[in-house]
Amino acid sequence: MNTETDSALRLQSPLGRVRGMGSARAGTHHWWMQRVTSIGLLPLTLWFALSAVSLAGASYAEALAWIGSPFNAVLLIATLLLSFHHTNAGLQVVIEDYVHVPGARIAALLAVKAVCGLLAIASVLAVLRIAV
Amino acid sequence: MATFTLPKNSKIGDGKTYAAPSGATNVRSFSIYRWDPDSEATPRRDTYKIDLDNCGPMVLDALIKIKNEIDGSLTFRRSCREGICGSCAMNIDGTNTLACLKPIEDVTGDVKINPLPHLPVVKDLVPDLSQLYAQYRSVEPWLKSDTPPPPDEERRQSKEERAKLDGMWECILCFCCSTACPSYWWNGDRFLGPAVLLAAYRWIADSRDERTGERLDALEDPFRLYRCHTIMNCTNTCPKGLNPAKAIGSIKQMMVERQG
Repeated sequence: MNTETDSALRLQSPLGRVRGMGSARAGTHHWWMQRVTSIGLLPLTLWFALSAVSLAGASYAEALAWIGSPFNAVLLIATLLLSFHHTNAGLQVVIEDYVHVPGARIAALLAVKAVCGLLAIASVLAVLRIAV
Repeated sequence: MATFTLPKNSKIGDGKTYAAPSGATNVRSFSIYRWDPDSEATPRRDTYKIDLDNCGPMVLDALIKIKNEIDGSLTFRRSCREGICGSCAMNIDGTNTLACLKPIEDVTGDVKINPLPHLPVVKDLVPDLSQLYAQYRSVEPWLKSDTPPPPDEERRQSKEERAKLDGMWECILCFCCSTACPSYWWNGDRFLGPAVLLAAYRWIADSRDERTGERLDALEDPFRLYRCHTIMNCTNTCPKGLNPAKAIGSIKQMMVERQG
C-alpha cells in the first residue's frame, strides 16, 4: 500500500504489510464484464464498420433513414453502451496499474466514469432523437 | 505514479575490467552488476574475461570460477547447482533464469548478469526476497482439512486428483516469474505475483484440501489477483518450464464459476 510516504520509517513486518487491509472480495464482476463486453463488441464492431462503409457516399437523408430504422438503432445503441462500458473498464485498469497516489487515483477513476457515462448518455440520446 | 527511471543513487557506472589469462584462446566477457552496501559508491558493472576452456559449461560455473580465482568479493546465492534449490535466480542476457541451468553457449556476445529486476538489492546479485516470502506465507501454503485423516493411513487421492497438481508442485520458488512481471513491478506491494498465485492454486486444486472457498475469498481482490493482465512473461521465463499464467487463469475461471 502506498498510504505512507516512501521516506517514512517502516518497521511493520513484511507479512503484516502483505496482508494489509485484507481482500476486497471484489474484482471478479469487473474482470468478467470486461470479457463479456469485448465478446459482444466483436460482432457489433464488425457490423458497424461494414455499415459505415456501405453508407459511404450516401446522402444526409439516407444516413438519417439508416439510423432511424429500428434494427439499426437497437444495434447502434448496443454498440455505444458496450463501447463506453468497455472503455471505462479498460481505463480503470490502466489507472489502478499506474496511478499510486490515493487521492489522485480516486479522482482519476471518478473523472473517467463521469466522462464515459456522459458520452454514453449523449450518444444514445442522439440515436433516439433520430430514431424515435 | 510508477517510476520508469532509476533513482540517482541506482545509476550504474563502469567498473573494473579483469583481463583474461595470457594464452587463453576461448575468451568470453562476463559483465556483472556490482553494488556494495558498505561503500558509498553507486552501482557499477565489472567485466571479467574468462577462459572458457578452463571453465564449466553453465553461467554458475563461471560465477564460481570468478569468485574462487579472480574476485572473492563477488556475491551471489547458490547451493545445489542442479536447478532444484532456486537460489541462483538472476537476470542473465536479459532473461530471468537460474544460473546453474543456463549454458554459457546459449548467450551470444558478452554475458550480462544482473540481479532479479525490481527488488531491493542486498549486495551484488543478491536481492531482498522478504516481501515475496511474506506473500507466499500469506496464502497459507499447507493442507487445511477439517476431516481427520483415516486412522493409520494417509489421506487418499485418485490418480486423476493427484494429476491436477502436476505442473505446480515442481515450483522451486526462485521467483524468476514474479520479478519478470510488469504488474508485479508496478504493484508488487499488493499484487501477489505469478509464483505466489501458482502456489495458491496448488492448494486450491488439491482434492484433499477443504478450504477452497476461503482460499478463493482471500484472493478475490482487484490487486491481489486481478492485476494479472495475462502478459505471459511468467510462463516465458520459468526455468522449470511451468505455466503460472495458466494457474492464474484457472483461479479467475473458478471465481466466475462460483458466482452462479
